Amino acid sequence: MQNNIVKSYLPRHLNKLRWLVLASIFAMLVLLPFLHLYQTYVAAHAYDLLFPHEKMIYDSMEWLTSPFVSDAEHELDAIKGTTWSGNLFGLQVSDPLAVLSQISASISVYWPFLLTALIPLVVTLVLGRVFCGWICPATFIYELNDTLAGWLRRAGVPLGDREFDKRTKYLVLAAGLLLSMLLGSIMTAAIYPPAIIGRELYYAIAQGGFGVGAVFFILTILFDLLVARRGFCRYVCPGGALYSLLGRYRLLRIQRVVSACNDCKKCNVTCEFGLDPLHDGFGQECNNCTACIAVCPTDALEFKLALKDGPYQGPGHLGHDYRREQQIKSES
Amino acid sequence: MKRRRFLQSLGAYTALAFASVIPYGLSRLLAPKVYAEPHRHILLPGALPDIEAFNRACIGCGLCGEVCPPRCVVFAQRDGGDGLNTPYIDPARKACILCNKCMQVCPTDALSITPIRDVDMGIAQIDRAACYPWVDEGICGACVAICPLGEEAISFEFANIYKPAVRDGCVGCGQCVEVCPEPSLPIRIVTRSEGTIARHGVATRRRSY
Repeated sequence: MQNNIVKSYLPRHLNKLRWLVLASIFAMLVLLPFLHLYQTYVAAHAYDLLFPHEKMIYDSMEWLTSPFVSDAEHELDAIKGTTWSGNLFGLQVSDPLAVLSQISASISVYWPFLLTALIPLVVTLVLGRVFCGWICPATFIYELNDTLAGWLRRAGVPLGDREFDKRTKYLVLAAGLLLSMLLGSIMTAAIYPPAIIGRELYYAIAQGGFGVGAVFFILTILFDLLVARRGFCRYVCPGGALYSLLGRYRLLRIQRVVSACNDCKKCNVTCEFGLDPLHDGFGQECNNCTACIAVCPTDALEFKLALKDGPYQGPGHLGHDYRREQQIKSES
Repeated sequence: MKRRRFLQSLGAYTALAFASVIPYGLSRLLAPKVYAEPHRHILLPGALPDIEAFNRACIGCGLCGEVCPPRCVVFAQRDGGDGLNTPYIDPARKACILCNKCMQVCPTDALSITPIRDVDMGIAQIDRAACYPWVDEGICGACVAICPLGEEAISFEFANIYKPAVRDGCVGCGQCVEVCPEPSLPIRIVTRSEGTIARHGVATRRRSY
């Protein structure tokens, strides 16, 4: 008999929330340079001297911010920066990778800067690699790119789906720190996609054009599209490597409920990081993005609090393999 | 057999190590070092005095640019090299107004909070063979009028005859360079040791790098 009552399983909707967060952070990175332009126009007290397109920016930003601020020139300084390093209402937050690279480049520790990475550090230790799945503005574009790749594959376009060694990215991280030390400049900043995105959006909007980072970012998109699915995040990204290392013993994990699983393999197909939820293989690469929870038809994936992944629990109890096993057992 | 396996694994690890450097090499290829004219590449107020120390400390987050009211802070991009994405000021394009916002917002020790009169971005240098009042007693005084520090930084050489002379109090903000109407820019920001009067000769035109 069919059960017609639809159970409301809230974690299934977390993926939508994640998309909302990703989109709003990306939109914020686009909006902030415009707000900065607006601030400079206000500070110059020269509305009449602006070009028509600058007047358009002025008017739209004034319309957007006037309900919240009275003194736009100064009060809009409350939110500044990117995910690489930013200012949120007086609270400075920096990427742990920025801090680590700066320490290795300058071969000394600047404590006020180290403390700005404290909040992301604690969040990563508890929740794992959530930055990659929930915040990173590059993830927003990479996931759209992956959707595009799916459409292209369906249309019959041959795209590469190579597998490399996941440990390459740790080597890239180590090489980046070493090169920073030797060359005397922060090398990881030039190849770390979220830093590139934040910076290049600012350059494009407020500084008059994209810089070299945009070229590098387009190369990473092509790498994802033509060589390996989400290849840059999985095999190259030094920040992903750092977050993976920090999130190795995270507290919050996704777990398969073997009694509800029917071995449909949708979770493995949807996981862009190529993990293996079907066989309980999450590991330190899992960024708790909840895409597998959202796609699971039997709600067999759930969050748990544990410092380690559990062992393989065998085939799902709703699947064929399990039924056959039981039959063999009962016969013998 | 053992040795062969050892050599094979050694080769594989070497190849992997080289592969891990590829993204950095790529980014470096995209932004080769091009030496800018020093007086068009001034470090921000409160910056670490040594350009190499500055490149080591700056993470390229762009916050200094995002708070700059006159938008004078620009970033080394295609020609960055070691200083890729680090900020600088080109006073001939847009000069610093010494508002101190960039040094307050900088998360690292690249920029540290400095009182206006202790800022050392360089010093203004006047080429008396090109400055209009110096050449033919013209009427100008734009640089003296715009200077945010006043008398102690730049003033007229004698009484009211419009010949500007830079004093020791100049911090090198470059307002005078931005406002100078003479197209050849007879005033420019140089390092403090080069002096306030341009000397024309064989030895003095050598650049500092």
